Amino acid sequence: MIVRYLLAALVAGLFSGALMTAAQEARVVPLILHAEEFEGGEETAPATDGTTPTTGGAATTQEHSSFGAVLLDVASYLSPVSVAYAHEGEAHEEGGIMFGMSRFSGTLLANLVTGTGFALLLAGFSLVSGHPITVANGALWGAAGWLAVHMLPAIGLPPELPGFPAADLTQRQIWWVATVLLSAGGLYLLFLKPGIVAKIAGIVLIAAPQVYGAPQPSDISSNVPAVLGAEFAVAALATTLFFWIVLGLALGFANEKVAKAA
Amino acid sequence: MAVSTTSSVTLSANDRLVAGVFALLLGAFLVFGAGLANSAVLHDTAHDTRHSYGFPCH
Repeated sequence: MIVRYLLAALVAGLFSGALMTAAQEARVVPLILHAEEFEGGEETAPATDGTTPTTGGAATTQEHSSFGAVLLDVASYLSPVSVAYAHEGEAHEEGGIMFGMSRFSGTLLANLVTGTGFALLLAGFSLVSGHPITVANGALWGAAGWLAVHMLPAIGLPPELPGFPAADLTQRQIWWVATVLLSAGGLYLLFLKPGIVAKIAGIVLIAAPQVYGAPQPSDISSNVPAVLGAEFAVAALATTLFFWIVLGLALGFANEKVAKAA
Repeated sequence: MAVSTTSSVTLSANDRLVAGVFALLLGAFLVFGAGLANSAVLHDTAHDTRHSYGFPCH
């Protein structure tokens, strides 16, 4: 029986991860690719048709038309978050995509793994807390997962595009993980524990990391246009909400299948 | 939510805890690997996913 519930989570996670890939390709990935044209200086971004007029400005036109040392100087003048820093950890000569896959299949694989991971976390949370996930409440479980993993951490660390200024990676990851854990615990107390004390404790847990504050970069200048950042933050939150609601419903459906088969 | 009468979890409390903890550990491992692990290969493979999910990246 244990294995069946884990398999239910696996199926729901793979299904949601596959759908998430489609949603990402529609809106989020194009914005990432667009932002990468502004990231750093060495990328030979082709002077794409739509780019130059919309972003406007002589500086942009110049960046697109000239390459090499001059551009590197301009880029480092415009922002400390360029070239070396923006590409830190993204060194394609050292890294590269697993098994020589294409960028898309790498994203698909990562989405399947992430989807399965989140499905197992949601199922594990439900099993340990003793509150079953069903088709009827699956969307709410999914929405709660989205709040804990995406919306509440995004208050301190909004979804970032490549080339965005950011504080030290390790510090951000620590804050992010702590916020997800505290938010999940807080939502559990708020929604699933009766009693006014539990509700207040839940709100305190959710607020604590926000009051403490996320690590912020000292310099917020960036080559990436702000409009792209705003569009991306909304697109990322919208697609992850879609992912979590599909995941909650799929997990509820799979759980009911398992329970009926038992 | 008083709707879950038709399909409560059909596991004993002990089995439920074992399954739940195992699911939490495996799920955390997968999410960590795809979203947070500081490996160049994992980073590059999951790059677009990490940004899309709002994982701290770069």
